[in-house]
Amino acid sequence: MFPWGPPEPSIRNGKNGRAGQGLGFPPPGRGALNLTMVEIKGFLETSFIEWPGRICAVLFLPHCNFRCPYCHNHPLIFYPEEFVSIALEDVLGRLQSFEGWIDGVCITGGEPTLHPDLSNLIHQLKARGFPVKLDTNGSNPDIIERLLEERTIDVISMDVKAPLDPFSYRKAVGSPVDFHRILRSIEIIKRGKVEYQFRMTVVPTLHGMEEIQTLAKQLRVGPRFILQNFNPENPLDESLRRIHPYDPAFLKEIEHQIQAIG
Amino acid sequence: MSNVIGIKEERKNLKVGDSTLRQEFETTDMALFVRTSEESMNDWNRQRIVDALIRETYIDAGTAKEIAKEVEDLIFSSKIKMITAPLIRELVNTKLIERGLEQARKMHTRLGMPLYDVDQLILHPNKENANVPHGPEATNLTLAERIKKEYALLSVFSQETADAHMRGDIHLHDLGFVDRPYCSGQSLEYIKRFGLSLPNSIAMAKPAKHPEVLLAHMVKFAAALQSNFAGAIGWDSVNLFFAPYLVGMSDRDLEQLAQMMIFEFSQQAVARGGQAIFTDLNLYWEVPKHFENVPAIGPGGVTTGKNYSDYLRESQRFAWALFNVYLDGDGSGRPFFFPKPLVHITEKFFQTPGHFDFLHHICEVASEKGNTYFVLDRGETAKISECCRLSFKLEQSDLEDAKEPWKMRYCALQNVTLNLPRIAYLAKGEDTRLFAHLTEFIEIAVKAHLEKKAFIEKLLSIGERGPLALLAMNRDGSPYLRMHRVSYLIGMVGLNEMVQIHTGQEMHQSKQAFKFGLKVIAHMKLLVDKMSERYGMHFVLEQTPAESTAYRFAKLDLRYHSPQSGHIVKGDLSKGEVYYTNSTYLNNSAVLNPIERVRQEGLFHPLIEAGALTHIWLGEAKPSKTSLANFVIKTFRQTQNDQIAFSPEFTTCNACNRTSRGLRSICSYCGSKEVDGITRITGYFTKLSSWNKGKLGELRNRYRNQAYLQTKEGDTVLMAG
Amino acid sequence: MESIKIFVKAKCPRCPAAKEIGIELEKEGVPVFHYDLDTLDGLAEASFYSVLSTPTFIIEDEEERELASWRGMVPTLQEIKQYLSLGR
Ligand code: SF4
Ligand SMILES: [Zn+2]
Repeated sequence: MFPWGPPEPSIRNGKNGRAGQGLGFPPPGRGALNLTMVEIKGFLETSFIEWPGRICAVLFLPHCNFRCPYCHNHPLIFYPEEFVSIALEDVLGRLQSFEGWIDGVCITGGEPTLHPDLSNLIHQLKARGFPVKLDTNGSNPDIIERLLEERTIDVISMDVKAPLDPFSYRKAVGSPVDFHRILRSIEIIKRGKVEYQFRMTVVPTLHGMEEIQTLAKQLRVGPRFILQNFNPENPLDESLRRIHPYDPAFLKEIEHQIQAIG
Repeated sequence: MSNVIGIKEERKNLKVGDSTLRQEFETTDMALFVRTSEESMNDWNRQRIVDALIRETYIDAGTAKEIAKEVEDLIFSSKIKMITAPLIRELVNTKLIERGLEQARKMHTRLGMPLYDVDQLILHPNKENANVPHGPEATNLTLAERIKKEYALLSVFSQETADAHMRGDIHLHDLGFVDRPYCSGQSLEYIKRFGLSLPNSIAMAKPAKHPEVLLAHMVKFAAALQSNFAGAIGWDSVNLFFAPYLVGMSDRDLEQLAQMMIFEFSQQAVARGGQAIFTDLNLYWEVPKHFENVPAIGPGGVTTGKNYSDYLRESQRFAWALFNVYLDGDGSGRPFFFPKPLVHITEKFFQTPGHFDFLHHICEVASEKGNTYFVLDRGETAKISECCRLSFKLEQSDLEDAKEPWKMRYCALQNVTLNLPRIAYLAKGEDTRLFAHLTEFIEIAVKAHLEKKAFIEKLLSIGERGPLALLAMNRDGSPYLRMHRVSYLIGMVGLNEMVQIHTGQEMHQSKQAFKFGLKVIAHMKLLVDKMSERYGMHFVLEQTPAESTAYRFAKLDLRYHSPQSGHIVKGDLSKGEVYYTNSTYLNNSAVLNPIERVRQEGLFHPLIEAGALTHIWLGEAKPSKTSLANFVIKTFRQTQNDQIAFSPEFTTCNACNRTSRGLRSICSYCGSKEVDGITRITGYFTKLSSWNKGKLGELRNRYRNQAYLQTKEGDTVLMAG
Repeated sequence: MESIKIFVKAKCPRCPAAKEIGIELEKEGVPVFHYDLDTLDGLAEASFYSVLSTPTFIIEDEEERELASWRGMVPTLQEIKQYLSLGR
């Protein structure tokens, strides 16, 4: 069902003696870590969604080189400086107080690969024993290649926006895009050095049945291609607010069909 | 004449001899004519006042005559043309008050409701209990409840107890059902073995031979029980006890049976006041240890020659089928509100083959529809859950009963909740005062339990010819309701606010505040244990399902403890949507991740014997079933948390009848504004349009485990998932 | 410096031995806190540490982080001292 399967029912350090420990109250004092500043703008401590099978934390990094009309995290792209950054040492401190519970950290955005110190961030997480999943729009194949070849991360999830032709893609991401870099990222990811998935956010006006099928045929990754429903709540392009998303049951059905395309 | 209220007081229970006496008193007068309950007119006769006073109170004939004369003078001199019976009675009451005859006045009270209130009630929905639909049946229920409530406060409970309730120091739950016990847990074995032969019922049914018939018996019995209990009706090990009937059944038939069971119990408007029966189905993937070697009862009510451990497969298949039905939801994809499935997770669960698949199955239901309750029974304790947060740990005597499972019927007689923030206002920051008041409040609660116990015992003493015939019925050597095994619940509301008032911090804000909260509950626990020993009764702490109590206490404290309470109550003061945090929960709006919630709230659970629950609000997010399973396992292994449930939110559209995730103001399919939100209220799912104001305030404040950005000005922007 | 919390109950057969170890450690200058589960403060503290059986020993560092614990059993003085910086 899930490309990377359920986790080993891991209970790291699950001694029953730790219940009163690290309840999440701020500890009395913490030695300062000397870490380079990665701009972390959002920190969801536990998610049951981002990494199926795991309980994972999610870090949101700002900025993006795309302008997808359905993007719902656009404040992060347009005005990141308006938001408070969360210090990495605070993030790490919190993660450590949930030792034995959190079995992965997902880095998302915005577009994480735009950050020069991304690999440092990943390193800090890995050094503390947290598996890492990276979300990307695939615009930086070189960075992706390095992360994958060195197996720095454990899972990569790439957002695919439209059938793989320059015109469709340009339209879907709302900004000029070097289409070859997208193709190269897909090629690198499909080498399968680490677990991967391709994810498409489906918007009725942009993506019909045909577009989805075309993309599925171009990718040919079977169940590693998953569909996500568009959320009209607060999209970047306000005109999309009036668009009703597909019926979830219908979308599930389509997903089922396209996953059969191997 | 149209403004005259016709009086048709029921006097059916009178003996013929004194019927004239009674009829005469209910008077409506035209030029002082009296309209009797037979809707005819009698002359005014002041002797009737005298008779009523002597019959109903303890005053002497002389005083009664004096009063009757004074009232008559008053009526004549006022030149009233139309007078109603309640008015005469109140005039008599003023005379009793003038004479300082307070007790007599109380005994002479008339119970009833003002015209305006009845009008409102018939026209508008009941918001106190979201489980009550609005309609003629429901209105009847509410009217009856109002009168019984007044009766309870005047006649069942002492003045001291009643006053404590009225002030809002404590809350006596379900006063409108004062003549019934609170909630109960049953064993299917009882009807499997004895069939359906209820007192006062015309038809008697022999033990069922087929699963459909067993189900029919179960439904009928549940309905009968609902009219004898105020609250939840729980069923133990439903899938296991059905199993001997399911041998050789095809998947399709099994699924159909599961569907029938859920549909039957989900129906609104099948029983009392149109309320669905508040049903809990306790389910197990394994054969619970205490039933392994128990001879199984099969078709016809006879033992099959096998033990329950031989029916594991059928039992598992049925549990699986039930969850298939939950997964689909009702006709328009909404979650079933009732019956609630409670799956017990035990050590043996993890040793039983297929448990991982089953866990994923029930987690999928939790993610898609939210129904599943995960009851975490660690170590050797076995539990029976009665309603969402009420469970009983089986003690040695219960394990003896388990050998004859039809004996396993349990009951909580009453539920009394303490207003903890009130205690903190009264303590004015002093520890000794706080604990002294807490003790005092618990003593009042205990007194209330003694009073209710005496009343129920009085009703039960009339036996199978009395009002609680069903509970008095004796088929196996003891009455259905086993009074010596009954529990008495003491609940709490607003521990968080109590701690906030007393220490200046809410429980999630500091370790000291949190520890103080634990100390309060530890005090309650020790005291309740002491009371149990003193009275030989089983008093237990419970997390109150404080649907309306949290709202009521907050409102009353705004009245009595302003301005301080204005800074403490949660919700939106300007909208009147105020509440206190339920029981021992942490602030609903606090940004606490689910791990913190299960871990910290779970530390209270071992002190709360009758069972406790942590809610994880999901909002519109649809989590991965395997991630949820992961979380359930960790909660079982690494905390002391008793029970968890994941609560998603839905919007259902009245125009196109479709259901989508999240709470929205317009339908995301057809754009209609005719929508209603659905989510869990305290222990069960309901439509938002039926919620009371306090609960709406809580809903708006719920933290739903969403990511957010914080602006430099301190505002937050939620991120969509 | 580390401190030790010892949780006992009146009717618990192994608790007297636990108390003795506590006294022994106190003599050596280790801060020891005794909690009786039959008292209010004891039960509250025990709840905070999820102590479900007695006797229980919990060693914490200055920042109240748990270093080691023995639940429902009595460790030897030697076992405890491993976790103490005392005399090391
Ligand atoms: S790639 Fe598109 S959807 Fe993702 S953050 Fe950038 S703009 Fe938003
Ligand atoms: Zn609609």
